[in-house]
Amino acid sequence: MNTETIKQKRVFLIGNPNSGKTSLFNALTGERKRVGNWPGVTVQKIEGIIKTGSHKLVVNDLPGTYSLSPATPEEEIVLKTLDEASGNVILNVVDIGNFERNLFLTTQLIELGISPVVSLNCFDTFTAGGGNIDLNKFTRLTGISAFPTIARTGEGVTSLTEHLAGIDNCLITKPCSCLRLPEDWISAADRILGLNGNTWKKAGPVEKFKAIRLLIAPIEENNPEQIEKLRIIREELAASISERTGKDLKAGDLACELASDRYQRIEMLIAECATVPGKTLPPWQEKLDSILTNRWLGLPIFALLMGWVFYTTFSIGEYPMGWLESLFTTLSTWIEANMNEGLVRSLIVEGVIAGVGGVLVFVPNILILFFWIALLEDSGYMSRAAFLMDRLMNSIGLHGRAFIPMIMGLGCNVPAVMATRIIDNRFQRLLTMLLIPLITCAARLPVLVILCGTFFGDNASFWMFTLFFVNLLVLIFLGQATSLLFKTEENSPFLLEMPPYRLPTASSVFHMLYEKVEHFVEKAGTIILAGSIIIWVLSVFPRDVPLSKDYDSQIVQLKSGPVTNETAGKIAELTRQKNIEQMEGRYMARIGKAIHPIMKPLGFSWRETVSLIPGFLAKESVVSTLSVLYLPFDENLGDAMKISGMNKLSAFVFMLFTLMYIPCIATLGVIWRESGSTRFTLMALVVYFFIAYAVSFFVLKISTLLTSSGQGLIEGAVIVLVVLFAGWYIIRTFLKAITGSKCKSCAGCQGCPVNQDKSCSGGS
Amino acid sequence: MVKTTLSLAELPEGHSGTIRDIDTSSPTSQRLLDLGFVPGTPIKAIQKAPLGDPTTFQIRGYQLGLRKSEADLINIDVIPDEH
Repeated sequence: MNTETIKQKRVFLIGNPNSGKTSLFNALTGERKRVGNWPGVTVQKIEGIIKTGSHKLVVNDLPGTYSLSPATPEEEIVLKTLDEASGNVILNVVDIGNFERNLFLTTQLIELGISPVVSLNCFDTFTAGGGNIDLNKFTRLTGISAFPTIARTGEGVTSLTEHLAGIDNCLITKPCSCLRLPEDWISAADRILGLNGNTWKKAGPVEKFKAIRLLIAPIEENNPEQIEKLRIIREELAASISERTGKDLKAGDLACELASDRYQRIEMLIAECATVPGKTLPPWQEKLDSILTNRWLGLPIFALLMGWVFYTTFSIGEYPMGWLESLFTTLSTWIEANMNEGLVRSLIVEGVIAGVGGVLVFVPNILILFFWIALLEDSGYMSRAAFLMDRLMNSIGLHGRAFIPMIMGLGCNVPAVMATRIIDNRFQRLLTMLLIPLITCAARLPVLVILCGTFFGDNASFWMFTLFFVNLLVLIFLGQATSLLFKTEENSPFLLEMPPYRLPTASSVFHMLYEKVEHFVEKAGTIILAGSIIIWVLSVFPRDVPLSKDYDSQIVQLKSGPVTNETAGKIAELTRQKNIEQMEGRYMARIGKAIHPIMKPLGFSWRETVSLIPGFLAKESVVSTLSVLYLPFDENLGDAMKISGMNKLSAFVFMLFTLMYIPCIATLGVIWRESGSTRFTLMALVVYFFIAYAVSFFVLKISTLLTSSGQGLIEGAVIVLVVLFAGWYIIRTFLKAITGSKCKSCAGCQGCPVNQDKSCSGGS
Repeated sequence: MVKTTLSLAELPEGHSGTIRDIDTSSPTSQRLLDLGFVPGTPIKAIQKAPLGDPTTFQIRGYQLGLRKSEADLINIDVIPDEH
């Protein structure tokens, strides 16, 4: 082999959440990272590259986990990657400020015959607090090498990188660590492996892990012979441990015993080689905590902070948004002035510029919001906020961390969906993403204001409030229904770690902003642009619409004559009629008319149906489309709609439907990007449509029943039931997509964790 | 000194106890064990959230918020105050 070729190696980063794993990853790899998805699951896979003189190290940032026993799909990734990782290099990030708990994962790795490289992170805080560790002794006792690091400043990273470049794999050849599994456990696990013709010596890390799990987790085997064998092995193990330790152990206590044993080994190791600073937080931290989470002050302080974040994001964010908008308007006007009218100009102005503008206009909001989120998260306040709000959010089945994304949804759903990344549990994150579009964002307000003003005149504000209220009821109902149906202890364990307060660093804030904006523009941006162009195509094609009379020649004829007030009026009238006829002939109107029968039960005419299509792009287009389509009746949209037969009830139902029927394309774009699942996104489209349909129908029928005298009562009831059932069925299927099809059988069996373990983590 | 056994959820703010056992029939129990909630470990209730739930606990030098439903899985021994 040519020795000059640069050797490529893989490094896997494993560690607890909040151990500074991501900071270390950034410190190791700098900007060079690639984000993708882990195969089969919608969990972000982050890769970065370190180049040293002789090596190229590809670093994989695995999801943060407290232990190898997976509690969430993210954590399952760690277990699934273990065999591959152990043949490469495993870097275990240990927060030395939280030494015992962080070493638990290290202990599990060592038990499975893996010798990770350990980075003792946050070393500065540890020594500042009076902590001290004898690294040579640590290595001698554990058999693994440890490197102090300060990921936030990048200290210690160079020597760590050099060491990483020098090792080829991390399998232990001679087990001689004080953290290794006791002999009686090993021989019991060996017997388990023996049932399938395997041995402890030959088994890979994942096989070993599964054998240990068979010793401690509830039995779920179907074969009675195997159950009996398992039972005997467990009882003999319990007896052997009882003899060694003098405790009176039953086979059912093994899970507890193993965890206790691991912590005893860890405590002994720490006592041998380190002095850990006092186990309480520094006094200023306690003081700060007692203020920020105070029974009386906690909520007001949080409300003020949220008010500030909201204000700066959406009010101050309006200025750069305005500049961007006027920039794009100037550009459009310039092109319109300098290009001949035609398809290309129309494509550039109405398709591309409008589309790109529609993407970039969100960037100021996202930047400002994520600046605050980065600060709140890095400082450790985000966990306190979740702690404060959890009770409230839990009442609609959500995690405390879901509060901030939900409240941001009032400003704009796009940054709100992106903000769901602060929720670490995937099920909870998707559930929050599902509910966000039901929050009425600022862009939907003008639509409501116009429509309510048109139909309800003086009572407009009352009816707007009613609309919000119905919307809120739907939100609560959907949240409760989904959590009732699908929430289990497996997919939503609530363990909220309160990290110590830290000063955020500029580099981590920058990393977050850069990542968010880049991925928004690159990933969500493409789908938003594509959507804009599709809607544009639908609204301008076919080019030649057969017209009832030759408008152009009539207009030309009028123009050629003397210009009077009368001819000018006629020209305007003819142009208007031409526009209406053209609009009716375009694909958009044709699609609207085609799907009109579906919408008819809600009392919509084909005009309303058509206006919903551009509403997909932005809800404000609903009003502008309607006013064009209703021109033949009256100049005033409200009067026109009344003339054509709309009453207050049908207007109310139409508004309700408009509010909920679909998330705008930008929201869908970020849902697609953040969930990483096309299926989830497509289902989101369908689900909202169904929800809106069901709710509108329900409202329509109920009101009709209340106003008319029981006419069609049975018919109405049957239809409402069918719609509700269909809606429920769709939501259920949808949630199966969220919970992951592999685990659907587990949703019902809360009492048996092993059942889930075996059937979920086994297959890939 | 008489020891009393309580569920962790019943431990008043500012008071401490020692973990006695943990209900292993719940799937969450494995995670709690992994986090260091093993018998014999001292634990202190730090603070209840303003709305009454969750509560933060101090264990093994770190703080963790648990909802009542999780805290109920854990039994603790406390030594009652003299007064």
